[in-house]
Amino acid sequence: MACDHIIETVDLTKRFGERVAVDHVTLRVPRGSAFGFLGHNGAGKTTTIRMLLGLTRSDGGTMALRGLPVPERRAEALARVGAIVEEPHFHGQLTGRENMRVLAAVRGPETFARIDGALARVGLAERADEKVARYSQGMRQRLGVARCLLSDPELLVLDEPTNGLDPAGILEFRQMIRSLVAEGRTVFLSSHLLDEVEKACDAAAIIDGGRIVASGPIAELTRSRHSELVIVCDAPERAVELLLGAPGVLAIERASSELLRLRLGGAAAASDLNRRLVLAGIGVSRLEPVHESLEQRFLEVTSRLEAVA
Amino acid sequence: MTLVTLRQMVAAELLKLWRRRGVIAVAAFFTIGIIVLFYGVRAIEHASDPTVHGPAGGLASFDRVIELMSVFFGALAAIVVGTEAGTSDLSSGVFRDLVVTGRSRLALFAVRLPAAIIVTWALTLVALGIALAAVFGFGGSDALPGAAAVIGVRQSPLPGTLGASFVIDGVLWTLGAQALICAIAVGLGSLTGSRAATLTLLIGWEVIANRLLSEISFLGHLRELLTNVALGALKPGDALPDTSGVLPSDAVAVVVIAAWCAVFVFLGARSTIRRDA
Repeated sequence: MACDHIIETVDLTKRFGERVAVDHVTLRVPRGSAFGFLGHNGAGKTTTIRMLLGLTRSDGGTMALRGLPVPERRAEALARVGAIVEEPHFHGQLTGRENMRVLAAVRGPETFARIDGALARVGLAERADEKVARYSQGMRQRLGVARCLLSDPELLVLDEPTNGLDPAGILEFRQMIRSLVAEGRTVFLSSHLLDEVEKACDAAAIIDGGRIVASGPIAELTRSRHSELVIVCDAPERAVELLLGAPGVLAIERASSELLRLRLGGAAAASDLNRRLVLAGIGVSRLEPVHESLEQRFLEVTSRLEAVA
Repeated sequence: MTLVTLRQMVAAELLKLWRRRGVIAVAAFFTIGIIVLFYGVRAIEHASDPTVHGPAGGLASFDRVIELMSVFFGALAAIVVGTEAGTSDLSSGVFRDLVVTGRSRLALFAVRLPAAIIVTWALTLVALGIALAAVFGFGGSDALPGAAAVIGVRQSPLPGTLGASFVIDGVLWTLGAQALICAIAVGLGSLTGSRAATLTLLIGWEVIANRLLSEISFLGHLRELLTNVALGALKPGDALPDTSGVLPSDAVAVVVIAAWCAVFVFLGARSTIRRDA
């Protein structure tokens, strides 16, 4: 069933006794994108995922995967979903290939033909006949992804997938996520690694204290609400005097001997400021708009909540 | 779920069980190893003093074999294998990954039992094969008069006049008893999710509680609810030594066994369906 959103939750709620772990979460994940799901440890990421996948029951709200309501049509919805929740688990006494066969048997006969391709894709074809007990953490993560691919998934739900990976492995993983998205699949990437989400994902939602506190495209989340500009020039004191009177410049900070940090209002244009400096005979070696990082945004929205609490 | 999927899921369960070498080694010892020891010791005794110790084999010895393979050591093998089948997905953490496939949790539970039974029966049938070879191989002329004539002739299932029907009945009864114990172990294992807890409870029940309770005379007919007493009622040949003379009717025994199976299978299935993964 075609649907714009591959994951959709409305007012999804989960309580553990008195504690509300997931509090009326409304989330819409567009198809064919890499979507980050960010939050501190204990923010409600994994609980949300567990409800979506039918691993635990919700206490309120509605959910749909691939346009199909869950848990009502859970089996149909999950038929083309691959997921790693927290960390992939395997039977250590079996080889990588045998573990794949165990899951293929549960998925259905048509999935056996995908085993070799999935193992090759994650780079485990050569070591598929070794016992999983001898695999490194990184190999287990890759085998977990291979297992996800058995269902030819429209949606991959990956919960902290880069745990235990070295930098090269993380880079490979990021490339794999992008290649999966390029094939038209959706990757839902839950992580507390902000940099990882910023680099790998097209959009993200931030969950804090069980509530979604921000969501949208990464570019939108990282867009500074107060435009800032960094300027490096050969006469910073003259530049400060000149620019303080320019329209749209709200404040100037001397970040170092040569570096100025300007806070701009809506009317200011970088090109106009550059022209003023050059016409005044000031050499400009760097002029760069400042983007807020996802980390800054994350800390801002989550700490704001803490302050309210 | 199609039959092909069901067969493949059972095959996957079998693969998991066979690859657990420690479990298979223990179960093989409690079945094949015990039979080898049983006939080995009897053969040595007979060889050392034939006037005191009769031949090691003979059909009469088979009565003792089916006791060993059902409610004694064979029961321990069924407990070990059934517990592994019931708990392995949970203890390894793979259960969550299986649930995420969307396959019904009931199906995930249901395939554990046939796999456990197949493994237990395979080991037991090898053990019984060895036992039958010993029955004839070590039978001696007195203990096994006209063995060829005995096989195929249905005789009264009493020691000394044992025939092919007794062998068949004995094998079927042994396999039935193991299936019951496997069902209890798979159900309890799926309920607790803990290998250690399940093994402790079931071995304690099988080795201590079952026998102790059957000795408490004031329990009267309540003792007919014990697994070993019910199994004993259906046993061909001699009565089981640990049932203290309590002998329910065949109908009661069948109902009791079915109830034990149903309760533990229900509890295991319910827990598998409802548990957070």
